[in-house]
Amino acid sequence: MTVGPDGSERSAGAPAQARGDLPEAAVRRLESTVFSSGLSVPDFAACLDLGLEPVALVQGFCVMQWGWYGQGSGYMRGLSPYTGGPQSAGSYSETYRCPHGFVSNEHRSWGQNLEQPWVEAAWAQGYGSAYQRMLEEATAHGAHGVIGVMDRVSSVADTGTTEFHFLGTAVTVDDGPPPAGGVPWSTYLAGQRLTKSIEAGFMPVAVVAALASVRVWAYCMTEYLMEGSMSWGGPTGPHLVEQVSKAHMAVRQLARKHVRQQLAGDELHGATIDVVARELSQGDEVIDCTLRGNRVRRFKDFDQVELPRPTVRLA
Amino acid sequence: MGAQSLATPAPPSQARGITSDLSVDEALLLHAAGWEPLDLVCGVAVVSVPVGVWNWGRGAISLASDAHDQAVDQAAAQLRGECSKVHGHGVVGVRVEVSVRTHHVDVELVGTAVRPIGGKDPRGTDAAQAMPFTSDLSARDFTLLQRAGWMPVGLAFGASFVYAPRRTAGTAMKQTRQNIELTNYTEAMYSARESAMEKMQRSALHAGGQGVVEVKVTEGPMSFARHAVGFTAWGTAVRLVAESHQFVQPQVILPLDDAVVTFEAESLRSGGQGRGRKR
Repeated sequence: MTVGPDGSERSAGAPAQARGDLPEAAVRRLESTVFSSGLSVPDFAACLDLGLEPVALVQGFCVMQWGWYGQGSGYMRGLSPYTGGPQSAGSYSETYRCPHGFVSNEHRSWGQNLEQPWVEAAWAQGYGSAYQRMLEEATAHGAHGVIGVMDRVSSVADTGTTEFHFLGTAVTVDDGPPPAGGVPWSTYLAGQRLTKSIEAGFMPVAVVAALASVRVWAYCMTEYLMEGSMSWGGPTGPHLVEQVSKAHMAVRQLARKHVRQQLAGDELHGATIDVVARELSQGDEVIDCTLRGNRVRRFKDFDQVELPRPTVRLA
Repeated sequence: MGAQSLATPAPPSQARGITSDLSVDEALLLHAAGWEPLDLVCGVAVVSVPVGVWNWGRGAISLASDAHDQAVDQAAAQLRGECSKVHGHGVVGVRVEVSVRTHHVDVELVGTAVRPIGGKDPRGTDAAQAMPFTSDLSARDFTLLQRAGWMPVGLAFGASFVYAPRRTAGTAMKQTRQNIELTNYTEAMYSARESAMEKMQRSALHAGGQGVVEVKVTEGPMSFARHAVGFTAWGTAVRLVAESHQFVQPQVILPLDDAVVTFEAESLRSGGQGRGRKR
């Protein structure tokens, strides 16, 4: 028997069937007689107050290598990168044609904004695998959910690989039935923010995230505008760079679309958007947009909150 | 009540779920004020800056200011367009990111589209959806503003870029040993700042605002052209929608917390007695 944070005795260890492919060290840790949590003291107190009992700090990892996308790779299209259309059915693509006619072989007579579904799928695989491994650890403890989730996507030293890392605190509901479907819920929230969200009628479902990636193959006009050149009949004053602006809008819209596909009618709260644009050369760019947030489900009608009274503090 | 509902989840909804970047507190406050979030919306624009614009010169760099204005206008138009698409009446908590580069100005606006619960808007639903407001005010500030009888109408922007003034070698030599105001510097910086703010106010008037709140001012040399200085000013243009300003009459509170006296170990080094520090 182990002693829980509220002083009660409970069974130690992970059920053997839930251990899955966890590393040996993880199994040993989960069999330990002490609980662990990544919660701050106020969050820990709020968690107990809400009727949730922290059982273990749980984590999941996945290291991915990004393949070669250039000439000759399985992801590319032979000698010319130009597809003339979307990379796969339903994906985003826009084509731009040079207004000058044939000038030279070096002249960029076409341009394309192209969604890169293979990059998005690889990211989703890495993110999803790490997330599932965290849930495996939580399931091993019979947890109902994981709170205070933190995720990080970073490079592993200079190996050219990307690591997806999840960390959270697995919790059980006092006297609650086993988790529905055997899958714990998860949320980035903890402490007061989680309590307020639940009191407002939203139960956490899962943390959701998606990456959208758009490659910009600049055509001549985009190249001139992004390099400040005014040659070849380009505008002499400031001018909207249509191809790049549209690519930036598209990547954000695609990220929202991907996340919305995971919501299945639920709501996304506390969303954050991160955009990384890597400028290559001559107007070419790769734009990646990550959108993440808390998927929540309404379990009761919203109780109208009384409009708070403004105060002035004398101190 | 709360924890038990976490053990037995509600059935999934068939509705088109909302997305929002509001915090839990902001969502609750907004709801208390009679508004609901709809969708995360954004507007992005990249506008080119012609070659040679940042070369040495005198006075204002008007092409750079024009590029900034154009980028902001385009991004705001896209933001409003996305808001209208989801039948929003406005966008709150807009995060503004402006990046001025050598050959282009990038502007990104991201916020949450909102509408009044029940769709009742003093401006009329059609008018509100046709021209939704945009605002970088937080949900708290938006609620307080509305309570005072005002409404945001749009984001107001102004920018001014100038070449840092130069002195002749002779003047510089003459002034080496003097404590003297460099009037050409003062005047150039002064007028550039005023110009940015004037543009911002003009943009607020154009949006139908009577004033601008939460004005942010940034300034500094361009990282790629140290001889050029950029000034930007932006905020939320507001308009009085009530007959007159509504006084919110805040309640004065006096916290009774005692100040905590802590011991500062570093004070021992100076040989003094361990002095307390209030916090």
